[in-house]
Amino acid sequence: MKLVIDESRCKGCNLCVLVCPYGIFREGTELNSRGIVAPVLDRPERCTNCRLQALYGRMLCGVCHMICPDQAISWVEEKPFEPHKVEVEF
Amino acid sequence: MIAPDWFRDDRLPHIYCTGCGNGTIINCTLAGVEEMGWKRNETVFVSGIGCSSRAPGYILTDSLHTTHGRALAFATGVKMARPDLHVVVFTGDGDLAAIGGNHFIHACRRNVDMTVVCMNNHIYGMTGGQGSPTTPPGAISTTTPYGMSEPAFDLAELAVAAGANYVARWTSYHVKELTKAVVAGMQTPGLAFIEARTQCPTNYGRHNKLRSVPAMIEHLRSHAMLVQKRDRLVAEGKPIPEGTFTVGELVRRSRPAMGVQR
Ligand SMILES: Cc1ncc(C[n+]2csc(CCOP(=O)(O)OP(=O)(O)O)c2C)c(N)n1
Ligand code: SF4
Ligand code: SF4
Ligand code: SF4
Ligand SMILES: [Mg+2]
Repeated sequence: MKLVIDESRCKGCNLCVLVCPYGIFREGTELNSRGIVAPVLDRPERCTNCRLQALYGRMLCGVCHMICPDQAISWVEEKPFEPHKVEVEF
Repeated sequence: MIAPDWFRDDRLPHIYCTGCGNGTIINCTLAGVEEMGWKRNETVFVSGIGCSSRAPGYILTDSLHTTHGRALAFATGVKMARPDLHVVVFTGDGDLAAIGGNHFIHACRRNVDMTVVCMNNHIYGMTGGQGSPTTPPGAISTTTPYGMSEPAFDLAELAVAAGANYVARWTSYHVKELTKAVVAGMQTPGLAFIEARTQCPTNYGRHNKLRSVPAMIEHLRSHAMLVQKRDRLVAEGKPIPEGTFTVGELVRRSRPAMGVQR
């Protein structure tokens, strides 16, 4: 599972930064296209739910996603060890 | 996002200010509804007027956004006419305890079978920050520029005294506990009252030296005391620290209830 912030909803309150026990959310520094400074993710693959949700078949930890007042945090399916195609533009 | 089947995707993002705790309380309530396994066409959300009362507008079920203070009166009507429906009320401290104070105590006395979630931000958020019956002593609001001089209502204790079958209090920081309390309340026949203390950074925090959202959450967290701990301190004759409020389950009982479907 992959942790994602929906930037079309996030209002940059930084409550996720406050609650994550792994410090995965870091206060952002750049304004996005909506004029909001959304947090950035620091090695999100460390998140308990990213690692173990499939194994346990239920939500683990999940406090960031419960406290996020703007319903902006979620997890998306990701195939493990999928090779990522990198395109280099010249 | 929590309970994706219950949110009106097309209405999000909601109108709440950055860091407003109301969104968190909607998450916890919907997580509870989902855990109960209720169906969307068997659940009704009712609210009055206020920022908190806008919550049903973001939920994909039938709902009633009623007049200021009257959410419980309308909800009682829904329950009496259709006891087969699950009724959940979202209300604010002003909506519930100021203009709607009478409906509050009588809904508890009658013990109408529904779940009432009060987003208590200690202020009239929507109208620009006037003092409410829960504004703490000394707090600055637009109607108390020298500090609130009146004592505040303890909404949860009020519900216990008035007769509700389930009463709990948590804060927007205690997301897991709040969700559990919502579920326990929904399982209890009769009126379940869940007070969720929450942050209004715009109209409360700004005037009370709690400008940032994390500072407001930290204030809630550090002033919350478990009921068990309060009881222990009282039994030991020790003083209760100034400004703290109890959190946890205050009552769970089985007084006769109204509108319970057999
Ligand atoms: C009969 C009536 N009186 C007054 C108002 C103005 N009014 C709208 S919201 C509100 C207070 C809301 O406070 P609260 O219930 O705490 O909700 P919050 O916005 O803080 O969530 C008031 C006084 C109204 N809409 N209707
Ligand atoms: S689920 Fe828990 S560990 Fe994972 S990002 Fe959220 S708060 Fe951090
Ligand atoms: S809690 Fe939600 S809205 Fe707030 S900064 Fe984090 S992702 Fe954005
Ligand atoms: S005014 Fe206060 S209660 Fe209303 S949306 Fe803004 S922060 Fe929330
Ligand atoms: Mg209020």
